Amino acid sequence: MSDKFNLFSSPEALTYLLEYLRNPRSVAIVGASPDVRKIGNAVLDNLIESGFEGQIFPVNPSYNEMMGLRCYPSLDHLQKGLDLVVIALPAKAALDVLDQCVRNYSRFVVIIAGGFSETGDEGRALEDQIKAKITGSQTRVVGPNTVGLLFPHSGLNTALTPSDRLFYPGKGSVAFISQSGALGLLVMDSITEYGLGISGFVNIGNRADVTEIDLLSMFADDPNTRSIVMYLESLASGEQFFSKAKEVVSKKPVVLLKTGMSREAAKAASFHTGAMATDDRILNDVLRQAGVIRAYDEVQLLDYGKALAYQPPLRGDRIAVITTAGGVGVLTTDLLTNPQDSIRLRMAGLDEKEQAELKRHVLPIASVSNPIDLTADGSTEAYESILNILTESENVDGIIAYALPQTPKIGIDIVHALKEASRKKPMVVGVIGYRLATKVLIELESVKVPAFPSVRRTTDAMKALYLYGLYRRRLENEH
Amino acid sequence: MVFIGGGWKMSTDPSKERSFTIVGNNAKNMLTRAGISVPKGMETKKLPAELGLSFPVALKVSDPRILHKTDVGGVKLNLGKEELKSEFSVMKKRFPDSSFLIEEMQQQGVEFIVGVLKDPSFGYVIMLGGGGIYTELYHDVTFRKLPISRVDAGEMLNDIREGMLCDGFRGIRINCEALKELLLSISRMIIDGADEILSMDLNPVIVSKDDAVVVDAKISINAKKADAPGKRE
Repeated sequence: MSDKFNLFSSPEALTYLLEYLRNPRSVAIVGASPDVRKIGNAVLDNLIESGFEGQIFPVNPSYNEMMGLRCYPSLDHLQKGLDLVVIALPAKAALDVLDQCVRNYSRFVVIIAGGFSETGDEGRALEDQIKAKITGSQTRVVGPNTVGLLFPHSGLNTALTPSDRLFYPGKGSVAFISQSGALGLLVMDSITEYGLGISGFVNIGNRADVTEIDLLSMFADDPNTRSIVMYLESLASGEQFFSKAKEVVSKKPVVLLKTGMSREAAKAASFHTGAMATDDRILNDVLRQAGVIRAYDEVQLLDYGKALAYQPPLRGDRIAVITTAGGVGVLTTDLLTNPQDSIRLRMAGLDEKEQAELKRHVLPIASVSNPIDLTADGSTEAYESILNILTESENVDGIIAYALPQTPKIGIDIVHALKEASRKKPMVVGVIGYRLATKVLIELESVKVPAFPSVRRTTDAMKALYLYGLYRRRLENEH
Repeated sequence: MVFIGGGWKMSTDPSKERSFTIVGNNAKNMLTRAGISVPKGMETKKLPAELGLSFPVALKVSDPRILHKTDVGGVKLNLGKEELKSEFSVMKKRFPDSSFLIEEMQQQGVEFIVGVLKDPSFGYVIMLGGGGIYTELYHDVTFRKLPISRVDAGEMLNDIREGMLCDGFRGIRINCEALKELLLSISRMIIDGADEILSMDLNPVIVSKDDAVVVDAKISINAKKADAPGKRE
C-alpha cells in the first residue's frame, strides 16, 4: 500500500478532491464547437452564460478561437492539473481524451457520451476501459452518459441543453443528485417556475467512478447545501448507501426518489422470510432505518428538499392551521390526520387563554379553534397578530399558513408577515390559485419561505419536516 | 437437490452460495448458544420409555427434506403420555427414515415470525412478522438492516399490527421486551458471523407474558463452513 495515489482513495481525501468539482478554477471543454447542432456548442455556451469566473479552455483542433476565447488543439497544449475537463465527444473518442486527462493530471473529467454500459456488452467493455485508465491516477470521472453539472454558486453550468430550451435554477440550498439526465434537467426547468434555486446538480449517469455515495459526502460538507435530494434507479451499493446516508442525515436531510420498484419474485421460496422479502419492502424499511425521507414522484422530491432546506425539523406532531377559507382548513385537517396514512400529524389544541387572545383579532363568526379560519374578513394585520400567538404557543410544534388571494384585505404584504413567523417556528405556506397566487409564491420563494401551490403539497411538506425531526431525535437516542 | 446425512441439506441452486439447511435439535442448539430460549425437548428416532419432559408435549417430524411440516401432517400438538405413544407410531410409519422432535408445549402466547436473509444490495436484513397465516395473508412484516439497535427493535414492533399487543389488549399480555432481546440476540449472532448463516426462519416464535421462545427454526448456513471438521453435531 505504498502507492502515493492511495492518498486520494481515502474518504477524507475524496471530499477534499470534490472541492475541485464543485468550485473548479479551470475548465476545458474538449469537442467545443461553434456549430449549434453540436453538444460541445451548448456546453461552452452554458458555461460562458452561467457567469463562470475561472479559466475556460475550448479544445478543438479545427479552430484557433471560439466565442471570443482562444481554442486549443488538445489537452496536451494546456497547463497540467486542470480542475475540470468536459469531454463532448462520442464514446471511443472520449476514451482517447481520457488518456490525455490522466497524462495531464486533470482532476475531474465529465464524460457526456452515451454508448457505454447502458447499451450492452460491447459498451460495458468500453466502460471497463474508463475504470482501467484512471485506476491509480489522480483523475476522477463523472459519467459516462451524463448531461453534466450545475453549481450556481460557482457559476458553473456544463449542461448539454441550450438555455433557450430549458431554464436553469439559480443559487439555492437544495443539492440534487440524479441518475437520470433528462429527468434531472426537466425537474430543474420546472422549479424555476417560482424561482427555487439549487446548491448543485450532478447527473451521475452510468457512475463508472464517482457515485451517489461520493456526492453525498460532498454535499454533506458543502456550506451552501442545506438539504440533499436524489433520484436513483439503482443503488451503487446498498450497504455503503445505508451507512453514508445515516451519517449524512445526522447533519442534513436526505430525500430519495427511487424508481424501478419491481414486483420481484420470492428470493428463497422454501423460507417464509424469503417469500415475504420483496426488494421494495426491504428498501422502504431500510431507508426509514437510515433516516432517509422517501419521495414518490419528482414533485415531492423537490418539495421536500425545499421545505427541509428552508425550515428546521418539527419537534413534535401538533400543527396549527391558519386560513381565510373554511374548506381549505377542513381539507388540510383531513390530509394531516388521515388515519389511513402512515404519517399522521395532530391538530394542535390551543388553550383557553390563547383562544381568548385569538378572539380579539377576528370577527365573531370566525373560528378560533384549530384550524383558525379568519374568513374573507382576514387581513394581513390579523395574520401578524395570530401568527405571533402561534409562534409563542407551547401547544404548537408547526404552523401551516394559507395566503389566499380571494381575501380582499390580504395583499402581497402578507409575505413579510409569513417570513417573520417562519423564522420563529417551523412553517409551510399554501397558496391556492393562479394569477395573484403565482406572484405570492414567487415572493415567498424570494424570502425562502417554503410555499406550495396545493393543499396536498403543503401538508406533505409539513410531514417531511415531521419525519426529519423524528429521524434526528432517533439518531440522538441511539448515541 | 442432494441429500447427505441427517440434519443437513445441500442446495444446488447455482446462483446462490452452496448452503446447508439445519433443522431440529441442531438448529435449537445454535440458538441456545446465542442465548435464545427454545422449548425443552429431545430429538429421537425411537420413543424412549422415559422422556424427562413434562406433558403435554408436541411431536414434530425433524427432517431437512421437510420444510413445511404442517402441510404433510408432521406436527401433533398438546399430546398426553398415551396420545404421544399412538401418534408416534403413526408418524413413524409415515416417515420411516426421519427423526422426531418431542418438546414441551409452550404456555399460551402470541405467535410471531422472525427471519434473516442476505439481501444482494443491503446485506443481512432481519424480518419481524405477525405470526401464522397473517404474515402471508396481510404481509404484516417489517425489515431492518443488521446490526440493529434497541431503538430499531422497538420500531420493528411498532411497524407490525401484532405490535399493538405490547400495550395489552383484551387481557392478552405479552413480553415484548423479551422479543426485542431476541431480535438483538439474532443481530449479534449474525454479525459475529461464527456460523456463516445465510438465512433463517424462526417460525413460530411464541411470546407469552414471561418469555419469547423459538418453537421451530430452520437455519441455512454456508456449505464450506458446514464441511469444516467439528461443525457437525
